[in-house]
Amino acid sequence: MRITEKISNGKLVTLIVSVSNDRVDNIRITGDFFLYPEESITALESNFLGIPVSISDAELSNKISEVLKNSTLIGLTIEDLVRLFKKVVQ
Amino acid sequence: MNNWRIIPLQEFDGFTNMAIDEVLSTSIANGGPPTIRFYSWKPSAVSIGYFQAINDEVNLDGCKSNLVDVVRRRTGGGAVYHDQFGEITYSVIGKQELFPCDIIASYKLICSWIIDSLGLLDIPAEFKPINDIITNGKKISGNAQTRRNGVLLQHGTILHSVDVDKMFSLLKVSDEKIKDKIIANVKERVTSVVQQKEISRGALYQALLDGFTKDKDYITNQLSDSELSTAKELAISRYATKEWNFMR
Repeated sequence: MRITEKISNGKLVTLIVSVSNDRVDNIRITGDFFLYPEESITALESNFLGIPVSISDAELSNKISEVLKNSTLIGLTIEDLVRLFKKVVQ
Repeated sequence: MNNWRIIPLQEFDGFTNMAIDEVLSTSIANGGPPTIRFYSWKPSAVSIGYFQAINDEVNLDGCKSNLVDVVRRRTGGGAVYHDQFGEITYSVIGKQELFPCDIIASYKLICSWIIDSLGLLDIPAEFKPINDIITNGKKISGNAQTRRNGVLLQHGTILHSVDVDKMFSLLKVSDEKIKDKIIANVKERVTSVVQQKEISRGALYQALLDGFTKDKDYITNQLSDSELSTAKELAISRYATKEWNFMR
């Protein structure tokens, strides 16, 4: 499953998600956004693995906030990530 | 006041250019002077942002047949076609404390040096967050930044002349069905120095030197043999590898 969106006043982001038994099996987040430090993308993607597709927005948002607590995301927000994830796994 | 180091315009292949930025960043983390370097890309190259998927962004066959290198940057942002003769690229590298902590504010500060430079050529320009400079409503410069080990690196390009059709023979568009429309749209949104004024690339470079060094103490020197050889090694061991460029 794949979704691409140009975030309003932000950057282009693509989520490619595969799901197995209603849980995230693999995810790749790509685009022309900025994330400091850049290596946090690995932790961000790993953080999605195994989560149920039915996860609530609030819970997913908390999980992402926790993994990015020492990182800065520019050009998209955590809320954008949550929204795109929910949309693509629907 | 900090003594800046200015490294005059030199041309390298894309892998070496990215490696030089990393070598300088490491040396600055270890106490080296803040540095501004100017460079171009020989051969022409496409650079992609750290988070981009190479197969989504780049026409790899087109690059190969046009002898255009493809390299992943350490910075985020979008894919850029660096024509050997069509632009000037800069890097600003210094300890983070020299710049605003706020990322957009630090983009704005360094971009103001480009805006000053264009002003010297009577080309009015303004900063457009997040990371662009526009003139008469069109993009003339794109910029990208990373911060590691207490060091800020910002690099960016100033378009001297631009061939949008060539650019899109090397970059992919999100929807091939409306490619013509997208190219027309980019032609509307992107400009270059020569589209604004008849100014040579040499004159643009001089203006950039003047704009970037305004109100700064600085010394000018070339890359040392040791810096260059370390960069060449790093280019081979990282920036030219499939592992790096195809990581996404």
